[in-house]
Amino acid sequence: MENLLTRLRQVNPLRWQLGLIALAVLLPLPLGNYYRSVLWRTGLYIMLGLSLNIIVGYAGLFQLGHAAFYALGAYTAALLNLYLDVPLLLTLPASIIVAALFGYLITRPILHLQGDYLCIVTIAFGEVVRLVLVNNLFGITGGANGLSGIDRPALFGLDWRQPIYHYYLMLIFLVITIFIVQRLEHSRLGRAWMYVREDEVAAEAMGVDTTRVKLLAFVLGSGWAGLVGALYAGKITVISPDMSKFMESVIMFCIVVLGGTGSIPGIFVGTLGMITLPELFRPLKAWRDAWLGFAMVTMMILRPEGLWPSRRVRLEMRGAKEVSLPTPAMDD
Amino acid sequence: MSRKFTLLFLSLVLTLPLFAGCQKEAEVIKIGLEGPMTGDYAYEGQGFEKAVRLLVDQTNAAGGLLGRQIELVIEDDAGDPAQAALVAQRLVDAEVVAVIGAYNSTATEPASEIYNDAGLFHITPSSTATGLTQKGFQRFFRVCFLDDRQGLFAAKFIDGVLNAKNIGILHDNSTYAQGLADHTKRYAEELGLNVVFYDAINPDDQDFSPILTNIGAAELDAIYFTGYHAQGGLLLKQSGELGLDLTWVMGNASNNPEMVQIAGLANAAGTYITTEPLPKDVDYPEAKKFVADFEAEYAMSPDSVWWMMAAEAFNVIRYAIEQTESTDSQVLAEFLHNEAKNLNGITGPILGWDEKGDRLGTIHVAYIINESGEFIMNPQQP
Repeated sequence: MENLLTRLRQVNPLRWQLGLIALAVLLPLPLGNYYRSVLWRTGLYIMLGLSLNIIVGYAGLFQLGHAAFYALGAYTAALLNLYLDVPLLLTLPASIIVAALFGYLITRPILHLQGDYLCIVTIAFGEVVRLVLVNNLFGITGGANGLSGIDRPALFGLDWRQPIYHYYLMLIFLVITIFIVQRLEHSRLGRAWMYVREDEVAAEAMGVDTTRVKLLAFVLGSGWAGLVGALYAGKITVISPDMSKFMESVIMFCIVVLGGTGSIPGIFVGTLGMITLPELFRPLKAWRDAWLGFAMVTMMILRPEGLWPSRRVRLEMRGAKEVSLPTPAMDD
Repeated sequence: MSRKFTLLFLSLVLTLPLFAGCQKEAEVIKIGLEGPMTGDYAYEGQGFEKAVRLLVDQTNAAGGLLGRQIELVIEDDAGDPAQAALVAQRLVDAEVVAVIGAYNSTATEPASEIYNDAGLFHITPSSTATGLTQKGFQRFFRVCFLDDRQGLFAAKFIDGVLNAKNIGILHDNSTYAQGLADHTKRYAEELGLNVVFYDAINPDDQDFSPILTNIGAAELDAIYFTGYHAQGGLLLKQSGELGLDLTWVMGNASNNPEMVQIAGLANAAGTYITTEPLPKDVDYPEAKKFVADFEAEYAMSPDSVWWMMAAEAFNVIRYAIEQTESTDSQVLAEFLHNEAKNLNGITGPILGWDEKGDRLGTIHVAYIINESGEFIMNPQQP
């Protein structure tokens, strides 16, 4: 196993990345509409996980109200589409901006909070958003009924009732997301986040503007969740305040923790465990939920760093020495 | 050796479903049931399953439908639109001939599109949002009534029978209750009533003393609560404890004997309820038999009106298949649109369906809770 991983690392990254994309493009083709929809949903939650990972994984901040931003993005897209007839795909930037703006407004005053205190405020924010939507804000959010009759994306004259087109639309955004997140991780900002995560005082002493980088983590993560919300609205065409349920936030949080905080492949594994497997085990009914609980408890005991953690988090949790890896071959 | 064995084993396992498929395909009629078996509405979804399962078993024991056995395929949407879209696809893939579901309108909306695209015959027992039947789906029907029919009835009852002038309306922010409250408000204002109080409680609240104090101060002749029985019971209890002299009218979501237990007999007595007729008051033998069988099977009465509606939906499907001797969704849909008239439903007479798929007529009646906590039909009806 270890051997295989070492060998994989030596392959030109571009090659296996293109291979994975090709696989993702071909994967739904032999499948029926149900499995295509499951894949779409999986991809959606991977994106949500990646966006939350910026906050929880990189910057090490608690966020248990992430679903609120997902819902805000969906409502922004739906309202623009229903009241102003903006085509769904053109509402995407607005969804990002609105969710990011709220991310800024909410977190700016509470950034000095740490740990559980921050956690409680984020939970509260999720509930506030849900209750505001339920109470039919300005008479336009449709109350508990939510909003229905949202247009699907219209592009290339395709029949957008077919799940496969939504899958490919999602895939495009997923690839963009991964690209951005990976660049962020290795950027100056990404390094600063990890500084803050490891030791905020030391980071500040080294000249990192901790408030600014923490705020940026929230704004970027929230904005991206807003985008995912708009994509959701475009396929399901009905949205309701339930999108901002506490449980929804918990699932997103679990995706990050289960897979491995701070790790992109970890988010894939986490989504597989939290979303895809329970969906495929649907015939087992109530046992699905039991499985989730069982998996969480087992994980926390046996593998607290997650299933596929980033190297740094694993080392930190396990306290082992970093093993030097052979340098990847640069080119053929 | 081991690789050969693995290959053999895999090929056997993988082809097994094919054999299984061949044998059963021609014989059974698959009917889908989509509902919230888990989640916030699990009480209703599980009731759907009980009610429909009972009728399926009875039909199968009596020789099935068109000589074929019925297989009930149950899918859980947890009341969530995203999951509803997924399970709808599963039911389509399972090749059911007809679907009963979903419970809440937000789940029915995306599912109905998928059923429509797949050409399935689809009846919802309980989704009352008006928009669902506005899309021109030819094979989509309801056995429940639109919110506005009950709203009209409630407004007439409060105006004509209770002779109220200043009224209040309270809902619980749930999809259903809010819709009913809005329609009632509209009709009440059309009838010249003053809606002086219109507000909502949150679905998880337990303590209503603040809002009840406001209601008490508003000097209402009657207050209409459109939410569910658990909170209805608490409202009655707490308003009694506060010593408020209010005339409570409840919507059909509070039509549940448990409400009397929660409220206490003294607080519940004299409360009015607008609802579909209770099974005991429907004269048809079909209705009485269903209730008796349900009680015998599950040692409980079919408490929720929506369970009755789910059973009704199954009966309609069974009737349509029997009469047309077909399982083709188009044939079944045309039969309901054109020929199915004046049936003996277990929720009251079924006059038929209009071209959109909405059930015709109205069957609502007003009940009053008497001194011993029983629901009896109010002597005066609008």
